[in-house]
Formats: sequence, C-alpha cells, structure tokens
Amino acid sequence: MLLAAAKYGYLNAKVRSLRSRKLTEEDHHFLLAAKDLPTCLTYLATTSYSSCLPEFEQEIPELRVLERQLARPLLTHYAKVIRSLRGAKERAVILALFRRFEAENLKILLRALFANLNRETVSHLLYPIAHISTLQWETLWTCTSVDKCIKHLPPDIFGRPLQNALPQFEAQGRLFPLEMALDFSCFHLLWQAIYALGKGFNRTVTKNLLALYIDIFNILWVIRLKIEYQLPPEEIVNYTIPEGNMISLACLNRLARAQDITEFIHLLPHSFRKELSVINDWGNIDRCFEVYFLQSLSRIFSGQPFHIGIAMAYLLEKEIELSNLITLLQAKAHNFTIEKSRARLSWQLTENTYVPTS
Amino acid sequence: MFRPVKLTRVTIQTPEDHISEVMAIMGDLRLMHLIRVEDTPLGHMGYIAHVNTELLGRYDALLIRFNKLLEALQVSSHPPVIHQTPRPDKVIFRLEEECATIEKKSIETLEQKQNLQNILGEHQALIARLRLLEPLKIDIDRLFALRYTTFQTGLIPEENFQRLQTSLDGIQHSLIPVNNKEGRIVLLAMALKKDEAILLRALKSAFWDPLELNTELQGTVTSILEKIGAEEQEAKKGLADLEATCKELALQFGEKLLFLREELLLARQLLLAREKFGQIDHMYLLSGWLPKALFKDLKQRIMAACAGKAIIEQVDPEEIKEVRSGILSIPILFNNPALIRPFERLTTLYGTPTYEEVEPTGFLAITFLLLFGMMFGDVGHGAVLCVLGYIIFKKMYRYIDYGIILMECGLSAIVFGILYGSIFGLEDLIPALWMHPMENINYFMAVTAAIGVTMISTGLILNLINILRQHRYEELFSASGLAGALLYWLLAALGVRYFLVGPPTAFEIAFAKVTGGILFTLMILQRPVRLLLTRRNQNKKGPLLIQGMAITFLESLIDVLDELLRYFANTVSFVRIAAFALAHAGLFLAVFTLADMIQHTHGQGFFYWLTLFVGNVIIIGLEGLVVSIQTVRLEYYEFFSKFFRGGGKPFQPLFDEKGTKENSSHQTR
Repeated sequence: MLLAAAKYGYLNAKVRSLRSRKLTEEDHHFLLAAKDLPTCLTYLATTSYSSCLPEFEQEIPELRVLERQLARPLLTHYAKVIRSLRGAKERAVILALFRRFEAENLKILLRALFANLNRETVSHLLYPIAHISTLQWETLWTCTSVDKCIKHLPPDIFGRPLQNALPQFEAQGRLFPLEMALDFSCFHLLWQAIYALGKGFNRTVTKNLLALYIDIFNILWVIRLKIEYQLPPEEIVNYTIPEGNMISLACLNRLARAQDITEFIHLLPHSFRKELSVINDWGNIDRCFEVYFLQSLSRIFSGQPFHIGIAMAYLLEKEIELSNLITLLQAKAHNFTIEKSRARLSWQLTENTYVPTS
Repeated sequence: MFRPVKLTRVTIQTPEDHISEVMAIMGDLRLMHLIRVEDTPLGHMGYIAHVNTELLGRYDALLIRFNKLLEALQVSSHPPVIHQTPRPDKVIFRLEEECATIEKKSIETLEQKQNLQNILGEHQALIARLRLLEPLKIDIDRLFALRYTTFQTGLIPEENFQRLQTSLDGIQHSLIPVNNKEGRIVLLAMALKKDEAILLRALKSAFWDPLELNTELQGTVTSILEKIGAEEQEAKKGLADLEATCKELALQFGEKLLFLREELLLARQLLLAREKFGQIDHMYLLSGWLPKALFKDLKQRIMAACAGKAIIEQVDPEEIKEVRSGILSIPILFNNPALIRPFERLTTLYGTPTYEEVEPTGFLAITFLLLFGMMFGDVGHGAVLCVLGYIIFKKMYRYIDYGIILMECGLSAIVFGILYGSIFGLEDLIPALWMHPMENINYFMAVTAAIGVTMISTGLILNLINILRQHRYEELFSASGLAGALLYWLLAALGVRYFLVGPPTAFEIAFAKVTGGILFTLMILQRPVRLLLTRRNQNKKGPLLIQGMAITFLESLIDVLDELLRYFANTVSFVRIAAFALAHAGLFLAVFTLADMIQHTHGQGFFYWLTLFVGNVIIIGLEGLVVSIQTVRLEYYEFFSKFFRGGGKPFQPLFDEKGTKENSSHQTR
C-alpha cells in the first residue's frame, strides 16, 4: 500500500483535482434550461470549457467545428495524466486508451483519401491530438491513396490490422472493413497494455473496467448494426470486440438473433436487466447503459485510491461528459424541448430541485 | 573576378518566319537572360506572349514515348551535350519519325517481354497462394466437383477465428485451418451450397482475404506446384532470351535515343521560352540581358539568318532610366575562375550581389581557405579531406562544387599542416616551418587578431567602393562609412603601435583624441544634419529644431556606439581562429593520451592503433564540421556584414547544360 501510495499518490491527487473541474449538477441544470444554442454556449463559457470556446460575437461557430474544439480539455487532461504517471507500463495503458482518438482521426484521414478530399476540407473534423500523438501525421497526410497511407503506419499501432483488412476494403470498395479494423486494433492495444501491467491490483481494476466498457460497447454495437444497418446476425457477431466480461461470444450471437427488444433484454445478464427494466423500445437503451457505466466508474473513486484505474475511470467519465455535452448542443441547435433533450442525456438530474443561490 | 560580367540590354524585333532561327541562335549562344515582354512597358503596347500549345503537346507526347523506350530498353548512361540548337517547329518532324522507326524495330520484342513478365508474375502469385494450401492433401479438382457443398479458401486474422465459428452457428459448416501465416490462419471453409450466401457474409465480416483458385487446376496442390514450376522455368528461359535481344537493341539504339531525347528537351525548352516573347501580328519582340562581349556575334548571326529583316538594339544599363532609378535590377552573371566558382554557392547563400556591388566571391574564397587552413592545419587530415573531396568530385555529379571546396580546404589544411609541422597530430615527423600552435599561444592569438583587423579593413574598403559605386555619398560620414573606417583604423594603428613598439607618445595620444573626437562627432551629427538639410531642401518653414530631432540625435548616438562596439567585437571574434587551431591540437593530445593509456594495459597492438584511427576519424568529422561552421560564421557575420548588402537578381540563361540534364534525369525517373 505504501509503495502504491508513493507511486500513484501524485496521480491520484492530480486526477481528483482535474475531476473537480467536471460540470456540476448546477451546470447541467442551466445548460439544459438554456432557451437556445447561443444561451447554452454563453453559459458553457462560464465553465471549465470556456478556454476552448471561440469568441462568437459575430456568429455562432459551426457545431461540428465546436464539437472537436470541446474535446480539447479532455485531450489536455490525457496529456496531464500521462505526464503524472511514473511507470512506462502505466503510461502505455493511458496512451492505448488515447489511441481511440488517433483512430478517429485516422478514419477521417482514410475517408478523405477515399473521397479525394484535401486536409483543409476535413480539418474541422479532426481531434486536436498533435501534442500527444506519436504517429507521423504530416507524412500520412501526404499519402495519395489508402494503401500507401496504411503502409506508412507502424505495424504495431494500427498498421498490421489495417493491412489484414485491406483485401476486404478492396473487395467491398468501402471503408467499413478498415474502420472496423481500427476499432478492433484500439482494444487490442488496450488489452496488450493492461496485460503488460503484470498480475496485481492495477491489472484487475483496469481489466474489469475495460471488460465492462467492451460489454456495453458490444451490446450497443449489436443494436446499432441490427437496427440501423440491418445486418444479418452472422455478420454482426464478427464485428464485436472480444474479451468482454459478462457478455460471452455465444451471448452476443444470441443477442444478434433476438427478435425484439423484450427478447433482447431477456437475453442480457441479470445486472444489466435490472437497469433496463423500464425500457420498451430501442431509442433510449444507450442512455441506460451509459448511466450504468457512469455508476461503475464513480465506484472506482470510492475504493482504494492508489492505482491506475483512477486515471482510466476519470478519462472515460470525462469522455461521457463530453459526449453528453455534444448531444445537448445538438439538441439545442435543433430546438428540442428540455424534456426531449433530457431524455437523450445520461446526466443525473434531480427534477426541479435546483434553486440558484442568491 | 571582383565584378560580374558586363551585361547589355538587347531588344530583337523579328518577323514570325524567322523566329525559330533566332531562337536557335540564342540557344547556341546560351547566355541570354530573357525578360518577359508582357511585364515591360512594351506589354502595354500590345505585345503579348504566345506559346504554340499544339506543338508543345506534340513534344510532350513524344517525350513520353522516348521515356518509355529508354525505360524498356534500360538505357541509363549520361545524356550527351547538344551543341547545335534545333528549331522547335522543324525538328519535331524528324524526332517523331526517328522515334517511330526505333519503336517499330523494338516494339515486338518489348511486347513479348512484357507478356512473359506478366505471365511470370501471375505464376508467382499462384505459386504463393498454392504454397499456403500445400498441407491440404486434397485434389483441387475434386473440391470444385462437389455438388451439394461449397468451399472457400483464404486467410483470416487469428483473433477472428472464434468469432467466425460462433457466427456460423446457425448453419452446417466446417472450418479447416490449413496453415499459418504472419498471425493469420489459412482456412478451408465449407458449407452447404444453399447456405453459401451466409458463409460468404460471415467470412467477409471476419476480414477474409480470399485465395482465389482456378477451376482449371487439376490434382493435388503439390502436383499443381510441380507443373507450374516447370512452366515457370520455360517462361524464364524465354525471358532471358528476350532480355538478351533487348540488350542488343539498347546497344543499337541507346545512345541515339538519349541524343534524340536531349534534342527534344532542348527544343521544348526553347518553345516554352516563347512565353517571354511579345507578339503583334506577324512580328516578334524579344528582350533580355546578354553579356556585352557576345552582342556583336549575336547581331551578325541574326541579321544573316533573317536576311537583314530583324531589328536589333542594344542599350547599356547606365542609359536605362528604370535602372538608374532602381526600379529595374540588372541580373548578376558571376565571372570567377573555375577554382573559385564553387564558392559562389556560399555567396548566394548569404545573398545575391547587386550589379553595382563588389562581387565578393573572390575575397570569400581566399579568406575561407586561409581561415579553414589555419584552424584545421594538419597534413594528414588535409589529405583525407582532399581524397573525400575527390571522391565527391568524381562520383557525385550533383555535389561537384562541394567536392571542389573540400579538395581546396584539404590543400589549405596541408599547407598549414606543413607550416605547423603536424601529420595526423604527430608533430615530430616534419619540422614546423612556422610554429607549433600549442607552443606559441599568445603569438598565434596576436596573429589572428591581425588577420581580423585586415579582414575588417578589407570589408570597410569594399564598403567604401560600394558606397561610391551606388552613389550613397551620405553614408560616407556614418559609422559604417569612411568616418567609421578612419576611426577604426586610428584605433587599430594605436593598438599595433602599442603591441609592436610600445606605448604611444603624448603627441600621438593627443592626435588620436582630437581626430577620434572629430570623427565621433561627425558620425553622431550626420543623421540629424541630413534630416535638417532634407527639410530645408523641401522648403518647409518652421522652427529650426523640429519635432523628433532629439530622438534622431539619440538614435544616432546609440547607432554609432553600437557600430563601434561591433567593430571591436568583430575583431576580437577572429581570435577564435587561434582557439580552434588549439582545440584541434588539443584533441590530438587527448587521442594520444587515450592511446597511451591503452598501450600501458594492452600493449602497442590492435587496440592502440584502433584508438588512434577512431580518434582521427572523430577529429576529422567533428572538428571539420566545427571549423567549417566557424569559418562560415566569420565570413558572414564579421566580413560580409561590413559591405555586402545583396538583394540582386541571379542571371537565368535561356538554358544551360546542367538544367537540361537535370530535366532529363527527372523525366527518366
């Protein structure tokens, strides 16, 4: 314990100080209550997101531009957390978690190459990751085709999985296989980094976290592929991420073949079923899973404080906050009512209880 | 050497019928810097550029054909130099015909070769695929003959195998791993024919990389491989025969092809140069800068070619109003001997001199070699640099200039090595004709300070020449002009007097004080006075002490102090020559000490000599780099900053040999 305190004490303090800048319930209330997007942004400018909001006296910036800008604090926090970690193995875990953003930018790059678009056209869709990323972005952006770009990627980071997916990309003539390969690769890198931590509390806590994340990711992914893309079950199973905790491959297979929402929920493990008891359509199911995951994350902060899981939990929590914020801004941009907006968020709000302090 | 080539502005008016001949003549003379007529006042008079795009298109198409032929025949020797410039409109017919003739004679062989290469490529791909399936001891034709079952062969990532199996739970299937390759499983997947679509969908989503097999394949994989191997051998034999024929063709046509392509590139370049011509109806107008010495020859040849129908005018730069007023700058054509020419690169790296300025390459070359030699003086090391320079000179055409500079630096180091009596750091092999730097540190430092005074004085003199040539007379009284130079020389003379003879007399001190005071006052006051005079010339009325005068005075005072301080710092800066020469000797000392230590423990064997060898290599590499940087620094900051302003325009000849060669090599690539 003493050793762990010495090793993770600073990280713990740092993460908790960063966590104190999270949006509060008061922030959630006023953001949700804002009558339109400008008002919402004006309030947001009073929070920890103020630094990434451009001046919009003349006109409101495009939402998709804003979305990537809002990710700036999260990515800065990644850098801070990485700097706060002592061991290379621990840093590798957070870096592997961060690689999901690299993968997102890589997807944009591949799409741009595929559609013959230049960098400027898609730059607003890119996450600002230059300060952490180790990939040779300048070289990648000079590539003229998808396969050349893939050749420039390091084999151990995205290179080999993308090479494996290249024949399917060529056969299908669409980027889907490459994008899937990138997603798989991110989780593969994460598992690699977690297993490298050695047998101990650090590995147990991060493994549990990631397994839960994968379980939820897989369930939502099955729903999306089944409902939105209407893919056949034999395809869906192949697009799921391995090494979940509660959801086995056989369970995913059964979920992919479920006829309706009731059967789907019935097939889920008991702990999930409890959360989803009120759900009767596919619409808000993702919100329920998000709430469940947030609760699991917050539990990490109440237990043993000196471990890498603290950092991982915080960063995932912050990511969910960001995704909620973006959903809210989109809802405001489309003039959704407060109720309609609230239904799409996983923020835990106590109904009509907030009374502003004078 | 210290002035660029004298140029003259030439304007040629010629009828359209003779434009190609005029261009060919200009091409022969090569040294013409064309001015785009549309950008001159003549452009406003209606002279517009006109490039024959149709003809240019023919040239481009032909160039592709030539390049294809050269590539197919693998001709790679240096392109020849064309001495007679072709007429672009005429030569294209001959070039097209000659290209077609060579194509006709070689096309059959080249096509056969290409076909065989394709067949071999296909064979190799098939062999690679089949090798993966070799452990599968099944007749391929029997698999194709299955009536109720479908099969697929291919690779999937190892981690996807389990998911694939799960995804096929709903149908009758069989997944047979056959082999492993770089983290992927070679798989034979089978299912009922009615479930073929499901199988394909599942495989597709598991990142299936299919190994497509031909229905014509008969027998086991091993027997098929044997059969294909035999076919491949036969194809290879045929290919070898064809390659021999290609070599013969390359011998027969290679040089001719290179010559023709060079001719094509030259003609194409001439055609592109028309972009700078002006045209009205059937008259062409060309304008540009030409070395004055070539004008007579140019005029005679053009008049002869155009049967006297051309109008050729020549104007000296001094007579051109735009040049006098500084709107138009005259390009610079360097005029240096072959051994100094490579240093032009270092000059242009700092800036291109203007036409009126002293061309500093000569001074740069001499002082560079002197400073480098003094800092790197060693016969052995100089010889190594010479050899390296020679290798670059011989083997690397693109870096030939650097090769020459390296050889010259090596020679300089050898000369100073003889003066210092040092061969690879051994100072007892030959006697020092001048001194051993380590034993005469104070003397060496005094010498380098004297070199500094000399170089800065040269810089000041060159600056005075530039001031006079560019009529910047007002700068004579500034700290960087004559007044500053006089003050510097006065102080330098006092310094020399002090060190060589002894303390100056009272009269000398009084003289220095009075003269220095006058010069100092002059330097400070010249700017405010000029400001006043300018105001007076503009007939502006008002108080004598105008607003900002105090600031101007203060600025002037600070400028003068700064400039004088810089003179001092620049002179002292030359002491680094001694410092680096001593560092060079010091590094030798370190290497020998290290070698001696090794000698004590291991004896004077392999490790002793290895230490000496590695030490010398490090000294040559490290010290060579440091000394080069220091020399360039002294040249740029201490010497050039005194007189060289730059801002000139380089002379761009219509085309030069180098340009054409670079172009052609690029095209080949």
